[in-house]
Amino acid sequence: MVRLITHNLLACHAKDCNTNNFPLAFKDVQLEIREAEFNPEFLRGFLPKLEWTALVDTAKQLGDTSLPVEQPEMLDDEFLKNLHHVLLEIHVEEGSMTCPNCGHVYPILNGIPNMLLAEHEIG
Amino acid sequence: MPRYLVQFAQAHNDFRLPELQSIGELLGISVTLPSDLESRDPMRPVMVIDLEVEEHARLLARRCILIKAVYEFYAQGFTYAELHEANKLSQPSWARYIEDTSFRFLVTSSQHKIPQARQKEVIESFSYMGFLGKIDMKNPEINLICFEEYDDRHKTTRVRHEGDGEFREVFFGRLLEEGSARQLIAKFDVKKRAYYGNTSMESEISLLMANQTLASPGKFIYDPFMGTGSMSYPTSHFGALIVGSDIDGRQMRGKGKTPGVIRAATQYGTASRIIDLATFDVTHNPWRCGELFDAIVTDPPYGVRAGAKRLGRKKELPDYKKELCLQHTLNGRPDDQPYIPPTKPYELSHLAADLVVLGRYLLKPNGRLVFFLPTVTDEYEEVDIHTMLCEGMEVIANSLQDFGSWGRRLVTIRKTTLEKYPPPSFDPTPEIDANSHIPAHKDFREKYFQGFKSKTDEFNDGASLSDP
Ligand SMILES: C[S@@+](CC[C@H](N)C(=O)[O-])C[C@H]1O[C@@H](n2cnc3c(N)ncnc32)[C@H](O)[C@@H]1O
Ligand SMILES: [Zn+2]
Repeated sequence: MVRLITHNLLACHAKDCNTNNFPLAFKDVQLEIREAEFNPEFLRGFLPKLEWTALVDTAKQLGDTSLPVEQPEMLDDEFLKNLHHVLLEIHVEEGSMTCPNCGHVYPILNGIPNMLLAEHEIG
Repeated sequence: MPRYLVQFAQAHNDFRLPELQSIGELLGISVTLPSDLESRDPMRPVMVIDLEVEEHARLLARRCILIKAVYEFYAQGFTYAELHEANKLSQPSWARYIEDTSFRFLVTSSQHKIPQARQKEVIESFSYMGFLGKIDMKNPEINLICFEEYDDRHKTTRVRHEGDGEFREVFFGRLLEEGSARQLIAKFDVKKRAYYGNTSMESEISLLMANQTLASPGKFIYDPFMGTGSMSYPTSHFGALIVGSDIDGRQMRGKGKTPGVIRAATQYGTASRIIDLATFDVTHNPWRCGELFDAIVTDPPYGVRAGAKRLGRKKELPDYKKELCLQHTLNGRPDDQPYIPPTKPYELSHLAADLVVLGRYLLKPNGRLVFFLPTVTDEYEEVDIHTMLCEGMEVIANSLQDFGSWGRRLVTIRKTTLEKYPPPSFDPTPEIDANSHIPAHKDFREKYFQGFKSKTDEFNDGASLSDP
């Protein structure tokens, strides 16, 4: 855990941090690869929700270059398998995520990110 | 349309029909309930329903926690004379078993024991059916069942067999299948779980909640008050992918490197379906966009065991202190403990209203919000739930779990709108003015600790709300 599907859905939410607050940048990560069930229906349904460029860049940063720069029109099996692996099988177990805008660091411990804000960061 | 007899488990009566309807919707089964109110009364132990095919009855019995058994329906009556008359008209349904089918005949009832002698008498009264197959008490090809419905005798003591034969109605049919989903109650028993806590939800109720979410493979489901993850186990068992969050990470982690929720899910073989866990206050959440989830299922903090809190302070700090805190956070020394922000209480009626607005934002159209709301039974009025609704969110089920001096309601809300709404602001709502209705769940915590004395003199033993 922190899988890339979740990472793609999390933005910095500190007070007044509303632009350029996504994607959070991984740092000092420890990765684990764990198998997950392949469900093409789920992947197809989820595609419109993804920020594609952020996903491709983050995967690349973590060493996976299997995804095309542009989201393809034809969702063939090979593409879906690669997408499945990137979204659901790469786990960031330790490290942190930093906001590109305000610099808030969200630490990850035993696979669970701490997304709590400090007192001066809430509205 | 063919008719089937559903026999319910003797538990959670108010949850029976919502579950039946939810699982019907999930499996694409059209379930037609009896049209008259009396036959549709969920407090009765059996109900005759219309289904398109026999297989549908079997599918319901494999997924509904509250189904004890399903039968092909032949007849019913207020007396045996009426029953037999109706059964003769059903001959086309059972004629195929006359020639050469081994069978067993059972006379049973709810809440009552029928003496052997009368059972025998009843069985003999069916002799006109002329079954030629052999009677087999061990492995019959079919089981024919006569079910006498007695009024609920709970809390009254009676002499054995007293009132025998004074049933309300009697039903007759052929057993199709016993409800196999009930076995899951033992499987998800909290005490046998690798990780649980004092907020864990009892097994049967968490299964009923899971069925209200329509959990199935490929569904994406969120619990914003994850705690020890009780609802994530049955939902992931049914195939759904789960995300959980909690303001207190320790609830999800427990002790040890592998988070407790993952340890428990591993025991159930569903760890790969727990997509992620994250620590945050749901009123300051990091979700980048809405319309993400098929369902939100949660047991919100009522304030008794696990108090409702949110980031902030009860009283604002003076500016100079705020500045000190800020400097301390920004220039923390390396040996400092992890920062734990201050929290303030979160009134339950605000929380419930916020949850509905959050659900509208985070759910896909047609998605479901399933959650518990504690309430003082004496004070409870239907308006409670409707005061916290918003446009585009509709209550589709509302089931009371009654504990006597208090109760809680499992509420199922469907997102009916296709519109996109902005994320909720979580601003504390203005004080409710004196003229408007005050929901019974307002200030629940205070009432709970007073044992609801203002309304009842009953002594409240302070049992847990989540695990009574
Ligand atoms: C009744 S418990 C849920 C129990 C859970 N169903 C289980 O199986 O253990 C409520 C949870 O809500 C958490 N909580 C309280 N206020 C919160 C908030 N503002 N945001 C997120 N979680 C909160 C508490 O830490 C607690 O774990
Ligand atoms: Zn930021």
